Parts: sequence; structure tokens; C-alpha cells
Amino acid sequence: MQQRRELDQVYTNRKLLNGQLDTPKWWLPTVVTLGLIVMIGIAVILVMVNKGLGVTGLARPVYWGLFITTFVFWVGISHAGIMISAILRLTQAEWRRPVTRAAELLTVFSLLTALVFPLIHAGRPWRIAYWIMPYDVARGIYPNIRSPLIMDPVAIGTYLTGSTLFLYIALLPDLGNLRDRTTGWRNAMYTVLSLGWRGNPRQWKMQTVGGILLSALMLPIFVSVHSIVSWDFAIASAVEGWHSTIFAPYFVIGAVHSGVSAVVTMMALMRWLWKWDDFIRPEHFDALARLLIVVATGWLGFTFLELTFALYGQDAPEIALREMQMFQWPWNGLFILFFLTAYAIPVPMWLFKRVRTNIALMFWTSILVNIGMWLERFLIIVPGLARRTPFVYTWEAYRPSPVEWTIFIWSFAWVTFLMLLFSKFFPLVPLFEQKESQVFTDDVMIGRAKVPAIVREAD
Amino acid sequence: MASETVAAGHEATDHHAPPPQVAAEVIARELVATTIGASGRFKAWAWILGALSIAGIVALILKFIDQGDDSTKWGYVAAMVSFLLSVAGGAPMVSMAPVVAKANWVRPVTRIASIFSFAGIATVIMLIPLVAILPPLVTEGARRRTVWYIAPDYSPHFWTTLGLVLLLLTGIMLFYSAALPDFASMRDHSTGWRQRLGKRLARGWVGTDVQWRTLRMRIGMFGTFYFLILVFVNFLISTDFGQSLVPGWRDAIFPMYHTVSGFQAGVAAVVIALYFSRKYMKLEKYVHLDAFWSLGRLLFALTLLWIYFFYSSFIVFWYGRSANDIATLELLIKGPMIYAFIGGLVLMWFVPWWILIWNKVRRGTGAMVVGSFIILIGLLLDRIRTFVPAWSVPPERIHEKWLTVIPDTYWPTVFDVLIIVGGISMVAVIVMLMTRVIPVLSVWQVQEFNLLAKPIKYIKGHATLVAKPD
Amino acid sequence: MSTQSILGLFQQPEPAADAMDGLKEAGFELGTFDVLTGTPYPEGAFGEHVPQHRLFRYPAFGAIIGFTLSIFLTSVTQLAYPMVTGGKPILSLFAMLIIMYEMTMLSGVIATVVGIVIESRLPNMKPGIYDTRITEGWIGVVVTFDDDSKVADAEGVLNRAGALEIKHA
Repeated sequence: MQQRRELDQVYTNRKLLNGQLDTPKWWLPTVVTLGLIVMIGIAVILVMVNKGLGVTGLARPVYWGLFITTFVFWVGISHAGIMISAILRLTQAEWRRPVTRAAELLTVFSLLTALVFPLIHAGRPWRIAYWIMPYDVARGIYPNIRSPLIMDPVAIGTYLTGSTLFLYIALLPDLGNLRDRTTGWRNAMYTVLSLGWRGNPRQWKMQTVGGILLSALMLPIFVSVHSIVSWDFAIASAVEGWHSTIFAPYFVIGAVHSGVSAVVTMMALMRWLWKWDDFIRPEHFDALARLLIVVATGWLGFTFLELTFALYGQDAPEIALREMQMFQWPWNGLFILFFLTAYAIPVPMWLFKRVRTNIALMFWTSILVNIGMWLERFLIIVPGLARRTPFVYTWEAYRPSPVEWTIFIWSFAWVTFLMLLFSKFFPLVPLFEQKESQVFTDDVMIGRAKVPAIVREAD
Repeated sequence: MASETVAAGHEATDHHAPPPQVAAEVIARELVATTIGASGRFKAWAWILGALSIAGIVALILKFIDQGDDSTKWGYVAAMVSFLLSVAGGAPMVSMAPVVAKANWVRPVTRIASIFSFAGIATVIMLIPLVAILPPLVTEGARRRTVWYIAPDYSPHFWTTLGLVLLLLTGIMLFYSAALPDFASMRDHSTGWRQRLGKRLARGWVGTDVQWRTLRMRIGMFGTFYFLILVFVNFLISTDFGQSLVPGWRDAIFPMYHTVSGFQAGVAAVVIALYFSRKYMKLEKYVHLDAFWSLGRLLFALTLLWIYFFYSSFIVFWYGRSANDIATLELLIKGPMIYAFIGGLVLMWFVPWWILIWNKVRRGTGAMVVGSFIILIGLLLDRIRTFVPAWSVPPERIHEKWLTVIPDTYWPTVFDVLIIVGGISMVAVIVMLMTRVIPVLSVWQVQEFNLLAKPIKYIKGHATLVAKPD
Repeated sequence: MSTQSILGLFQQPEPAADAMDGLKEAGFELGTFDVLTGTPYPEGAFGEHVPQHRLFRYPAFGAIIGFTLSIFLTSVTQLAYPMVTGGKPILSLFAMLIIMYEMTMLSGVIATVVGIVIESRLPNMKPGIYDTRITEGWIGVVVTFDDDSKVADAEGVLNRAGALEIKHA
């Protein structure tokens, strides 16, 4: 499966640094267009801050709508990075190599984006500081740490800081490489950033040992982040459909499902845009799709448990909610769409090797998954609030306003924009990992068969 | 790539060379020879454990005659069913790892893991009286809350029995389908009844290409079935024999928690069995420390997963503060089983976590086996703290919205102690006796391990070249 | 005393490993010569001195600091602003644990990153003799001297091993 291919290091450098050393033609127009969308989005956010949340469709009793859904969605996407780079590093999966950097990057930028949503959703973002930070010594007002709304920023802040540092440490050897390939101010920049990297055994050993250690440390953080996000909902016993003990692992595995799918989408784009056919190969898509089949099926199992135990109590309000979610228009339409896109269409397709190694099909199916996973979050958050309950005297069906949709679109443009900006200065595929895989793989002859093999260091 | 240009003579680094390879025919001969004869100590232990198993079965029968009409007295038997399902059901999952992860280290371990399938007999024996005592879905005209919304009254009884028997059969099939080549080895290298048994069970195995391909397909197929049935049985045991007996206990993660802690116990059991067979059958040549290292990491990960699942469930109840949240916490944690809970928490998570976190421990065998024993004791306590209070709830309270009266601590009687000891002994003695029937390490997989992993000199250093066939 | 170093460049790992062996035989002390590569090789591949490190102490140290700080932060802020919410005690251990966990992990990660940088002997703004071809797959063997008389010896070893180029600094 892992077809070994000898790649010259000079060629590897030239190809993988093509984003930094010579700018592709499409880069500038794309960045400018995305930049415009980003500007429009920021303008709309400013208008909303000025006018207040009245410009959104949020109204009693649905206070958590598109913003919170999209927040959960982006936190979910952020689980791609550590899943790919930490778990696969610890399990020594050789095929992780070309995708680790891009996945970590996706983590950092999607977390940055996710953080924006609760912030603007608060209506008066500047007031958030003293909810979170214990700084208001003068008035003696401190954050309420019993609230998951405090645990959330703490967890996301930890994850963001950790991922950024992890990304930087793994970037060091490649910064050294860029320093060697550039001149002028760029050379000066990379010299400073690479901290004087030389590539002696001590430094490489720190890369390996440190990489494993950081992976092992990041993994528990990764699990905690989406668990804590899920507790935003799960600990509220008053809203039907939220108060379930399974929420934490259910959210985590859903996040892995959507995050790894997002990595597939991104890998296809990277292969097409930067013409990295030699590095991002069909067998990488094949391996990711196999992983996705397992993750998606596990996620389906959790969905099943969630639903089973919602009905298990046989409480009338809970049953009414599930009926609304699955059988009443428009929720039923969304529900069917959700199930089809998150599982029923992509996973059976991935069972065929022909699909798994077809990059265009993988691209589209991975996008389908993320449509489905966004809808999943929407269907968890909104119906529980929108259901007509006794003693509520006003209710309206929640309909996201154009302001919300614009900000929603902004978030996608913003993440892409940041990624492209990053790609101008730093390589998206880790060069040293790519070269390492050349050193650490070999073919062995077993009888007449040539079998790909991996060099494992003696311990 | 692997250079041999310069002869050895460079200054040794702190690395030692990987263990040397053993010729295939030596492997077959030596491993087949391990089945023959037994030391006095082995026989003595087998007799003792066998006697304890029989005492356990007798106690189970007597308990059924004496207390067969009072379900509140059966908590410890339910805990044992769950415990034995975890150990004997979880262990064979270790033998599925190579199929999933293509890991080489696991090949010598698969046999010992799949032998545990036979210990499933102990689980079935324990289940028989319990099924008879489990209340039907509808009692006194009212239906209790279960996952069987509109199913017939005796659905849990039927499906759990069927599931557990199927699990036993699939486990044995999984074992047998991977053991065919080894029965052929016994036919070729053993004597007496073992040779005759090998001849009969090898079913004409000679190792043609088609036979190997079918073998791999069978292992994959039975492995998948086994996994699915295992998850299904875990789901049924944890809901029908636990949760649904307590009004208001609604814990969606509990079946998963039950399954994952089952895997944890299964891995721990495999470590223990591997340790003893390696030590007393002198298999150091075949079971490398690499296997313990990898099992240790797996066990460590499962230990962390246990606390994660536990906390995920606990925090929701703790924050919820509704009447049934409070009652559930009271019943399962703070109330009658507080000591078992603390013991479980400490022994399932805290102690193993601190033992297994050290690289040095996972590179060795001694502390690993201690950690595994601790995990098994912790699991037993954890099963007791969930199942005993659940069964202590009198059936007449089953239709309440939530539990209003927390039952008292139910301490084990002499019968219960005998049943617990007997159940554990039965697993041990079954595994021990199976090692006399078939090599405890899979001959062909040890050979394959040697074929695929070759110690090499990499320029000047030592390394292992591991082939990864498709 | 002026330190001086030379760098021998090789295109293949085997001659570079020979050069390392040669230097050892010629009586150069461990630690005065090193190998530079553009990609990690299995440890000991060049017969090089395997570096010792104390990286594992850093996360433990960081975690202890984070844990202590987090106990302080979670308890003192709650006691200073005792507002009961949701009927929970002011010092709610199970909520505090979550914040404490995150802060412990955070400072563990930060300490590890600091550890990786320090143990890699970075930042090093005067890295010494180097060649940009090392990141193109060439392998450099660098020898450092206190005493100029040994330069010729080292050059001899590098040349015999087949160095394609020798740089001085």
C-alpha cells in the first residue's frame, strides 16, 4: 500500500517550497478576493456590535442559534490537527507525514475563528474580559468557575496555545531549510525564526522525543476541549435533548469525524493548487478514508446511544422533542439531510478502494461530511430551545438573519485567508518529515515479493 | 540502504541490538514441546483452581435453591457476569489488533488472547440463574423503562442469552480459525493424543496459498463478528442487567463505559497470562519486551479513557441536580457502595496511571503485571459498585419516576464469596488447561513475526526493518 | 583561546559515518565532532555520540507549577467573590478540577516547549560553520578544535573518508 518512491531532496525542496520561493499565479487574486469577503464580514460584525443582537434572528426562546452552532463546528474542525499529528505520531503511522503540518495549522486557525463566535454573540464583546479573567481586583468581581462558559475559554485557550507552540517546534527544521534557500530580508527573518537550527543529532533527537512528548500531552487536552464544549449543553437539565451523559465523547468523536474530513478536503486542495502530486498521493487518501470509516461508524454508534437513551426515560417532553426533530418540517428535512451527508452517502462510498483513491470523489465526500456535521450541531442546539414548552408566552420559529449568514460565510473565508497567508511564508507540508520517511522506509524481499518496510529504531 | 560496509567495531552506543532471530523449525518444535508435560506446581495450581471452580458452581446452585425468588440478593452474581464478560470477552480483542493496525508486536500475543474465549463458558454458567431471576419487562401490568420500548416481555432474557452464547461460539471460531496451522504443527511435531487431536483438527492443512488466503479471510470475518457481538452483549448486560433495574438511572454513556473498561480488563488479563507463560514456559526468546511495551501503552491509554468516561458521566449528574440525578449519584457513588467506589477509582485509574506512566515500567514485565492485577481488582470493585446496588433495588420500586429510598449496603454472603472466587478460578483454570492443548504462542504467527521483522545494521546503528505487507 | 572548526561535506551517509569512525580512531574526543543532516537518521546511524537529555523533567516541573497556581486561582477567586450559583458550594471541587486540569496541562506543554528549545541548545545565534547544502541532503561532519595542530589530522581523516569538500571557519 505504501508505495515507496525515491525522491531527490533538491527536488523535494523545490517542489514543497514553491509557495514561498515563487508565488503561484492564482495566489494573489485568491487572497485579494478572500480579503474582500473578510472585510465585508468584519464590517457586518461591527454593525452588529453597534446595533445590538436585534439584527440577528435570535429571539426568545431560541438564544443560541447559528453563532453557537458555528462555534461548535469550528471547534470540531480544530480536532483535525491533534488527531492527525499526535495520535498518528504515537501509533507510528507512516502515512501521516505529508499532512501533519496542514492539520495542525487548521487547528490553530479554526480555533481562532471559533473564539470569535461566542465573543460577538455576547453582544457587548468588550465586557467578556472580566467574565473570563480574574483581573477586576478593584471591584472584587471574579469569574464564576462553576460555569462551563468559563471552562470553555480556558480549555480553548490551552488548546490554542499548545497547538501553536507544537506547530512552531515542528516548524524549526523547515525554517532552517528556508533560511538556506533565501536571501535578503526573508533570510534574516528565517534566521531569527529558526533560532539557529543546524540539524545535529541533539536537535533531531529533541524533535523526535519532544514531538512524542508533546503529542502525549496534547492528546488529553484535545479530548478535554470538545468535552467541555459539550458540557455547555449537557449540564443544563432544563433543556430536553441536552442533558445526556454521553455528550462529551459523542462530541469528541463527531469532532474527529468532521476534522479529519476537513483535512481530506484540504489535502485535495493542496495537491491541486500547489501540484504536489508526488507528495500527497492517493494512498494517503486511502489511509485517511479507512480511518474515517472507523471514526464515522464509531460516531454513528454514539449517535445511536444518544438517541436510545433519550427515549429510554420515556418522558413526554423528551419524546415530543425527538418527534419534532425527526418528523416535523423543517427539522425533518434537515435531519434527513444530516444523516445522508454525515454518514449514509460518504461511508458506503468509502468502502470501495476506487473511491478512496479517487481524489475528486474524496474531496466532495469530505465536504458532504462537514455539511452533515454542521447540521448535526444545529439539530442538537436549536430544536431543544425552539420546542413549545408550557409557560412560554412568546415563541417564534428561529430563522437566521442575513447578518448571521454573512458572518457564517465570513468564517470560512477567514480561515482560508489565514491559511493562504501562512502558505506564503511557511511550507504547508513538513519537508523534514517527508525526507525522514525516505530515510525510514525501505523495501524488503520476502521470497520474490517486494514488500514495503519501515525502519524501527532498536530500543 | 542497510549498509554493511564497515564491520562492527565502532564504539557501542547505549543501544543494544534487537533480539536475534530463531529458525522456523526451531520455533515449531520448541513451541509444540511446551504443551507436553506439566510441572508439579502447575498441576497443584490446576487442582486447587479446579476445586474452587466447582465450589463456586455448587454455591451458585445452592444460592439459586435458597434465594431464587429474591432478586435483591443477586447483585454479586450480576457483578460477576459483568466482570467475567469483561475479562474473558475483552481479552480476545487484543488478537484483533494486527488486522486493524498491522502491528507486528502483537503476533506472538494473539493466541494467548484468543484462548480467553473459552473462559466465556464461566460467564455463561453465571448467567443461567441470573436470567431466571431477572424480572420481565412487564410486572403487575406496568412496564419498566428499558431500551425494549415495545418488545415482548422476555426480550432481555432471550437476547442476552443468545448474545452471550454467540459470543462464546464466535470467540471459539476466532480461536480455531487462527489455530489451524498450529494444529498441523502438532500433527507434525507432537506425539500421542495431541498428535491425533492435531491431525483431526488441522483438517488437512498443508499451507497452500488458497488455505492461507481463506485463513486470513476467516480471521478477519470472525474478528469483526466478535467485535460487534461483544459490543452488543456489553450493551445488553449494562442496560438490562444494570441500568433498567433502577428507576431514574439514565446514563447514555454507561454501555460504552462498560465496554471500554472491559477492554481495559481484557488487556490486563492478557498481560498477566503472557507474563506467567513467558516466565514458566521459558518463552523469553519469542515474547520480546516489545510486546509488553506496546501492551503497556495500550493499557495506559485505556486507563485514562476509563477516568474520562467516568468523569463525563459523573459531571453531568453532579451539575444536573434533578431528583433522579441526585438519586443516581446517591445510589451508585455516595451511598451504599462508597468503599467499592473509592476502591475502584483508586485501583482502576489512580494507581495504574502512576505505575504505567513510567517508560521504565512499560519496558519491563514485573511492574506491568502488578499494574494489571491491580486493574482487575479495581474492575471487580467497580462492577460491584454498579451492579450490586442496582440489583438491591426492590422490584416493586421499579416503576417509580426516580429512586426515593436508597437501599442499604448489601454485603456479600459466604455463597457470594464462593461464587466470586469460583468464577475467577474457572477463568484461570480454563486458560491453564488450554495451554496443555495448544501452544500458548501461535507457531505460525511467531514465524511470521520473524519473517517480517529483521534486525539490520543501519549504516552504523542497530535497527529493525519491519515489513508491512498489504 | 580561539576555537576553530572545519566542516567536511559528504553526499552519502556511509562515507560520513566512516569519517566519524576515523575521527574517533584518530583520538578526537567525543563531543568535539558532530554530524549535521537535513533529516533525522536512526539513532546511532553515524556511530555518533548519543546526546543525553533531561527533557522529561520539564513537563513534570511545568505541571507542578500549573497545578499549584490553579489551586490558588480557582479557590481564592471563589472565596473573594462568594456568589452561589446553581446551588453549588462556593468551593466546588468538581468544577475546579476542570480548570485545574487545563492549567496543569497548559503549563506542562509550555514547559515542554521551553525544554525542547533549551535541550536543543537553541536559540543559537552564532551557530558556527555550516553549509546550505545540508538541507539538500548532504551530510556535514563538523570538527571543533582548541588547538590548531590537529586541523591537518582531521582534514586527513575527512579526505580519506571521501569528503567532497572541506570548509574552514
